[in-house]
Amino acid sequence: MTKITLPNACAFFILLGSSHAVLAQGVGYHAPRNFIPVDLMSFFVTSEPIGDGGNLGGLEGADAHCQRLATNVGAGHRTWRAYLSTQARPGKPAINARDRIGDGPWYHARGVLRRPIIKSEIHGDTLIEAQRGANMFKAFALTEKGNEINGVGDPMPNLHDMLTGTQPDGRAFADSADRTCNNWTSNNEGTAQVGHSDRIGHGNQSWNSSHATTGCSQEDFAGWNGAGLFYCFAVN
Amino acid sequence: MTKSRTLAFALVLSAVGNPVGLAQHGMPGGTPMTFFVTSDPIGDGGNLGGLAGADAHCQILATRVGAGDFAWRAYLSTQARPGKPAINARDRIGKGPWHNFNGVMIASSLAHLHGDTLELARMGNNLHKQTGLTEKGAIVPGLYDYLDPRDNDWEYVKTTPYSNRHEVLTGTQPGGTAYPPEFDYTCDNWTSNRDPDPELAQGPLVAGPNRPNAQIGFPDREGGGNGSWNSSHGTRGCSQEALPRTHGIGQFYCFAVTGENP
Repeated sequence: MTKITLPNACAFFILLGSSHAVLAQGVGYHAPRNFIPVDLMSFFVTSEPIGDGGNLGGLEGADAHCQRLATNVGAGHRTWRAYLSTQARPGKPAINARDRIGDGPWYHARGVLRRPIIKSEIHGDTLIEAQRGANMFKAFALTEKGNEINGVGDPMPNLHDMLTGTQPDGRAFADSADRTCNNWTSNNEGTAQVGHSDRIGHGNQSWNSSHATTGCSQEDFAGWNGAGLFYCFAVN
Repeated sequence: MTKSRTLAFALVLSAVGNPVGLAQHGMPGGTPMTFFVTSDPIGDGGNLGGLAGADAHCQILATRVGAGDFAWRAYLSTQARPGKPAINARDRIGKGPWHNFNGVMIASSLAHLHGDTLELARMGNNLHKQTGLTEKGAIVPGLYDYLDPRDNDWEYVKTTPYSNRHEVLTGTQPGGTAYPPEFDYTCDNWTSNRDPDPELAQGPLVAGPNRPNAQIGFPDREGGGNGSWNSSHGTRGCSQEALPRTHGIGQFYCFAVTGENP
């Protein structure tokens, strides 16, 4: 037996080439076309990294990056927060990513969502919410420009690692190991906990807490299929 | 590169071989396949001939690709009837682990597969678009693969293998158990191809009075506001024509009974 179905795959390719007009007007239950104007966008993945590895300039620097990218596409009237946690330090309590992003619900850049992102669902606050999973799919985790992030199965580079420094429930890690590139100030030593924007990889489907990187440099992130991108949520 | 071309590229890569560095010790030697999505539906909507008919379909498809030595079970529940207790899908499939066509592990145990604890459930299992393969090793076309306004129409869908068909029959709750008997979640325990009266076939995709219906999940983990692999929402009815209206064609999951004590 053979698993290679190349002729079929090629036919599919050819079909696609001639069907873009059809693609543009596709309708269906799972792909509604109720486009939401950009001023309703309240969630995106950064289209570009800050570029200094895990040194984001702390939470403030990361929030400013969200705000700048949002402003570039006309969504600067909202208050934007990076979905990042910081760990406790002497005299400074930990900060949980889930506590920074408001109450939602959130819509992505193209408003293809029929249902928005719901905080309790993306964190699996109840067993049934956790079992069903988050309304956070590859085709929904769009940049502020409305583009998908390359993930598993796409042409390289795969950029699906999203910096979070966060546990699956949305809270900061409580142990002493570094999970946040020293609270987002290190571009060399340390590790960053990441999720996957395509929810594929490392044997799990976590969008916010799949695995840790080794190292915090821009090169370290690239070695793990990431570029130092992160999620941004509007709080209002 | 457009999204469509990206996905086409992914599909071509997947058809040819190994795009993502997954283990390549599939069926020809190596880890045997113990999980697949049926490449074809039975074809009579939600009438599968009961659990026995569905199991036989799994066994036939597996046998055609040389995997007939296992005892195959359809991942389907049935609801309680007078004198007949409910049957839970999770109780039918052994203990795992289960591997797909490429030898990639889908789940290590029943608890991993279903997310029996909050911790397990938040992380999820390893069933996703790149691993939820048919017994022939093909990806099940899902959301955004090939958007086409005709993909809700069975007369069209049956003519193309590429349109979205990612709704898989389960009749099962997220934890893997059957629903209570009050409303239909199983097309009358997989014996019915009936549809509700037209006015009842509208609105939210939830079970209700006088609504022939099947609970479905998504092997590509996209859709329904949650992406549940086994329990996202219901259907517009139980006929073969009703299933494509929400992007299914009556496929289901098959698991080999593994991990049992000899």
